Amino acid sequence: MSLLELPSNREERWRWSDLSALPEIAARAPSGQMPERLPWLDCATPGPRLLFVDGRLVADASEPGDVALGTVEAPVGEDALGRLVGSEGWTLRLGSGHAPLGLVQVIHVSTGAADHLPARIELDVDAQASIVETFLGDGWTNRLTRITLFKGARLMLSRRILTASGYVSLSDRVAVGEGASFVLTTLAGGGADTRFDGEVHLAGNAGFAEVGGALLARGRQRHDANLVIRHEQPNGQSRQVWRSVADDQATCSVAARVEVARGAQKTDGEQSLKGLLLSRTATINAKPELEIFADDVKCAHGATVGELNRDALFYLASRGIAPAEAKALLTASFVADAIERIGEEDVRTAFLDDANAWLAHGGAQS
Amino acid sequence: MLKIDNLHATIADKPILKGLDLSVNAGEIHAIMGPNGAGKSTLGYVLGGRAGYEVTEGAVTFDGKDLLDMGADERAAAGLFLGFQYPVEIPGVSNVQFLRTALNAQRRARGDEEMSAGDFLRLSRAQADALGMSMDMMKRPVNVGFSGGEKKRNEMVQMGILDPKLAILDETDSGLDIDALRVVGDGINRIMRKPDKAVLLITHYQRLLEIVEPDFVHVLAAGRIVRSGGAELALELEREGYGAIAA
Ligand SMILES: Nc1ncnc2c1ncn2[C@@H]1O[C@H](COP(=O)(O)OP(=O)(O)OP(=O)(O)O)[C@@H](O)[C@H]1O
Ligand SMILES: [Mg+2]
Repeated sequence: MSLLELPSNREERWRWSDLSALPEIAARAPSGQMPERLPWLDCATPGPRLLFVDGRLVADASEPGDVALGTVEAPVGEDALGRLVGSEGWTLRLGSGHAPLGLVQVIHVSTGAADHLPARIELDVDAQASIVETFLGDGWTNRLTRITLFKGARLMLSRRILTASGYVSLSDRVAVGEGASFVLTTLAGGGADTRFDGEVHLAGNAGFAEVGGALLARGRQRHDANLVIRHEQPNGQSRQVWRSVADDQATCSVAARVEVARGAQKTDGEQSLKGLLLSRTATINAKPELEIFADDVKCAHGATVGELNRDALFYLASRGIAPAEAKALLTASFVADAIERIGEEDVRTAFLDDANAWLAHGGAQS
Repeated sequence: MLKIDNLHATIADKPILKGLDLSVNAGEIHAIMGPNGAGKSTLGYVLGGRAGYEVTEGAVTFDGKDLLDMGADERAAAGLFLGFQYPVEIPGVSNVQFLRTALNAQRRARGDEEMSAGDFLRLSRAQADALGMSMDMMKRPVNVGFSGGEKKRNEMVQMGILDPKLAILDETDSGLDIDALRVVGDGINRIMRKPDKAVLLITHYQRLLEIVEPDFVHVLAAGRIVRSGGAELALELEREGYGAIAA
């Protein structure tokens, strides 16, 4: 990766990111060291499974089913990191009236170096899919996913970043058609730094998009989410619910933008960006932005950053709960707001468990 | 069981408790009365171990151990329970989850085994029933959206489940309707009136003391106990006010 050209902090969209570790990771060779356990979810309706190690499919650990592997049909975009992904990846294309798939699970393991992978998801009229992506390992995992939802299609995409160290950068380009629904929930609950770039177009009448998640950071970790939802047609609804937790010298940043085009009347947009500082030396940046060119629009946005409530901490202590556990309990309830948006119980429970494991780990350390 | 000796405490450098002495033995119920701002809640918080309440002089022992040396959670595990004048709302944490976490934390701290989910559910149902609280409310987030009286009832359910040795109940009767006062008063007697337990009952009203009859009544004014007596002292206070006594 000698040609690695990365955006600089001088660009507004990248000012909270620190990409300085990436050239060094990109120069490494993968260790091939696999995690002890692959956290496949046991779920009521199992579907396709894909295991990628360092960006390559491990065929004998995968059951692709309806997922196609090979050249991904997608023009290379201008995304600063997304443009690195190349052309070989995975595609899920469901035709209209396709029988519901079970839960699609994708596990990405990075064993110390950089890997890049594109994906394409296209759901035709009224098709539905639910996908869970899990990220593990200790390198730089870079992904670009292009998503098109036709009329009435529904996609629930849930991602958990459990990568122990290194970097995870995920770029998404999403087009939501008439009456279609897109829900993306992300949990950054590992030790890696992350960068999420999302651009969602509500391109049909009455489209629905929800993009949110929980960012958990400690040590010198940095999470950086940069999102735009564009309402291009009337009657659209969008939600951006983000919960950031930062301890030690960590930084979480969320820049979430809603754009409402001139004709997009009756748009209903909501942004809730909340941050919880677990230490005075941590940083949380929350930047909600609205750009509205229509007049009959309801957009609510709130951004707050605070600390754990001292009265609540004493109340828990007065009932016998030790400080670390009290802190974890209150933090978990703060984070749950964002994770509870996940529809399937199996997935939601797994994500809540992952968040709790992250919090308990902190409790043991402090 | 509890021995308070010349206790001085400040909040933000402002002296509130100014040489308070009090001794509570197992099997006793002590009522503490006194004018607004006298330092009654402060006494509860200092005994409970709340941050920001600084003890500048004096000593407190609980079962012979230095209470002031223990963290708030350790005091609870040792058997101290503080019923709050203003119970705190905790969004996102259900009552049952909160109480199960608390009970098991106390058990671990004492070196006991944790209680199983099934046993805990039976225990919490029995205590909620006894205090007229529905299991629906037990599943709701702690105190969120509870009325003033429901919050106080919830404090008593917690006390029933945690089964402490010493309960300091700060105006548990305020905000209760007449029937609820009876339920809560009976609850205090049922849970705490035992030879190996004791209660410090902070209250403004005689009504609760008719149900939970105190062995001793103390008047706390300007940071000290200025007078002590038997149950009849509460009646006298009700008749004559604090003016004559605390002056
Ligand atoms: N955080 C604080 N900062 C400064 N002063 C405080 C603080 N908390 C309490 N005080 C003061 O301490 C004094 C004692 O308060 P406390 O709450 O103990 O009174 P109380 O006897 O419980 O009164 P009440 O009967 O009204 O409940 C009051 O003068 C109060 O204003
Ligand atoms: Mg008070």
